Amino acid sequence: MTINFVDLDVRPILRDGGEPFAKIMQTVSALGPDEGIRLLATFKPVPLFSVLGSKGFTHEAREIGDGDWEVLFRRSGEAEAEAPPAEPAAADDGAWPEPVQHLDNRDLDPPEPMVRILATIETMAPGQVLSALLCREPMFLFPELAKRGHSWQGAFEADGTTYKILVRVNGNKEAAA
Amino acid sequence: MAGISLSRWTMSYFVAALAALIAGETLMVAGYGFPAATLSSPETLILVHVIAIGWMSLLLCGALFQFLPVLVAHPLYSNTLPLPTLFFLLGGLVLLLLGFLQLAGDIAASPPLLPFSGLLLSTGFTLVLWNLGRTLWAARPVSLPARFVIVGLTCLGLTVAFGVVFTIVFGGMTSYEPFLLIAGAARPLHAIAGIGGWLTFTAVGVSYRLLAMFMLAPELEGHRPHAVLYLGAASLALIILAGLYVVLFGGPLLSLLAVCAIPGIAALALYGADIFHLYRVRKRRNIELNSRMAAFALMSLSGSVVLTIGLIVLGRLADNIGAVVFLVAFGWLTGLSLAKLYKITAFMTWLECYGPVLGKTVTPRVQDLVIEARARKWFFLYFSAVWFSDLALLAQQTTVFRVGAAMMLVATAGIIVQLARSRFLKDVNEDIRLPEGTHRPKLFLSHSRAR
Repeated sequence: MTINFVDLDVRPILRDGGEPFAKIMQTVSALGPDEGIRLLATFKPVPLFSVLGSKGFTHEAREIGDGDWEVLFRRSGEAEAEAPPAEPAAADDGAWPEPVQHLDNRDLDPPEPMVRILATIETMAPGQVLSALLCREPMFLFPELAKRGHSWQGAFEADGTTYKILVRVNGNKEAAA
Repeated sequence: MAGISLSRWTMSYFVAALAALIAGETLMVAGYGFPAATLSSPETLILVHVIAIGWMSLLLCGALFQFLPVLVAHPLYSNTLPLPTLFFLLGGLVLLLLGFLQLAGDIAASPPLLPFSGLLLSTGFTLVLWNLGRTLWAARPVSLPARFVIVGLTCLGLTVAFGVVFTIVFGGMTSYEPFLLIAGAARPLHAIAGIGGWLTFTAVGVSYRLLAMFMLAPELEGHRPHAVLYLGAASLALIILAGLYVVLFGGPLLSLLAVCAIPGIAALALYGADIFHLYRVRKRRNIELNSRMAAFALMSLSGSVVLTIGLIVLGRLADNIGAVVFLVAFGWLTGLSLAKLYKITAFMTWLECYGPVLGKTVTPRVQDLVIEARARKWFFLYFSAVWFSDLALLAQQTTVFRVGAAMMLVATAGIIVQLARSRFLKDVNEDIRLPEGTHRPKLFLSHSRAR
């Protein structure tokens, strides 16, 4: 099967300090069965490998100079996310998997930390965990996470100024299932 | 770890409060009440209560219903009580103003309305205290800013208690001697508990958190803010307890108040140092309009402290107390409120409209809801007009004061237009104004859509 690669250059977005995840996921969901993505980014987008991996994509990354990377994502035919979860009973209270996304939102103006977290979560597969550092407890984020069916754990670190939150995508839905 | 949703009726409080501010400024332009009339005249009482209850208290109550839960990281006890509360407060305020008109002899004196106004207002404020008190109780131990709010709410209770005594005495419903003494001499205590305790102390506490948050400065938790809390609370307690003693058993009230105010002035000086520190250590170099305009409000607060001390030294405080109160009310409290309202309205509107689709589609940023360059000139006009008017008061130029008040009115109207534009998303780029899944927010009611 010949694969058509859809070109997606997120370098301008990244250079403007923007968040390309939403754009990438939009492109992914619009892909036909025999289409893949040729992604151009200003860094090796490692977190994306597992995100798209869980959606059934394999990747092939190479540096193309000036620190820029080209990554080819193509369907492997099997979506990991569609496989039954290994430990359904452990969905919410049990051990959470290692975070696949790490955000440091401590220097962002409110409510940007909340926007980043919600945007990143939209790109993640059910069961995956995001970790984010904040400079205060994100009181307005919690209702939004709850409405979307995600579960979370959070607390101030020992320094008393950094708040660390772990969000498990669709954790509540899994727990209810 | 529950989250905080939007306070449903806060916007209604803000709209009612702004209407009262416009009404109060219109009275000043018309030359109604102080400075054309004396400070204790019924006309001045009308003006003062339109501003103190109608504008500032409603605004602060509305803001606390939304932000006290943020300060204590605990949801509001009741999201439905604020609506009946608002009706009690507004009804009570209208009766209070009518009661003052009865005192002035402008309308028929029977039946006496003041006691009924006291009943409605005390019911309304008791509901406020109940709702916020339950929220605080459930969240204890509470953070430092919330402890300022506790002192502020205690002072609100005392202010209302004094007010109720006044209404039943002036409504001719009691001849109980201590109440007559209180009604005769405790008005300064009522004013200090209200303006110094409830409004200023609460604003100080909330400003610690809001300024730190909006300027990306670390929260202040050290000795100095605690000293502000303890010195300020001690000063208020001394003023009210010792003041009450003097009112009931005799003594020189004003000299006593001046002595008891010393720890309070020290507290304000330390607060000034704290805020100066916050501005200095902020991580965000380009601060938003609300933080820049808050600096003018803080300058007005320090100006009023300096003015008070200067007038005491010159022995002219009693003649010029109106100018001091005016600067506190309009330069500090109103200035700070309008500055923060400019941010809060945009933020609440943004959260209500775009919260449900954040991350799923392209949404505007909070700052896309406002055009600061347009609002800036109205804020500059506002603060200049307040300072100009205050100088006119010091110079006892009543007509010049009315010109200043007219400038304040125009500036306030300009700011309100900008607030309304952000509430109705008028300044958001049309392409991203209402993405799929969003709804235009209503003026009065905030909606947290369940899904």
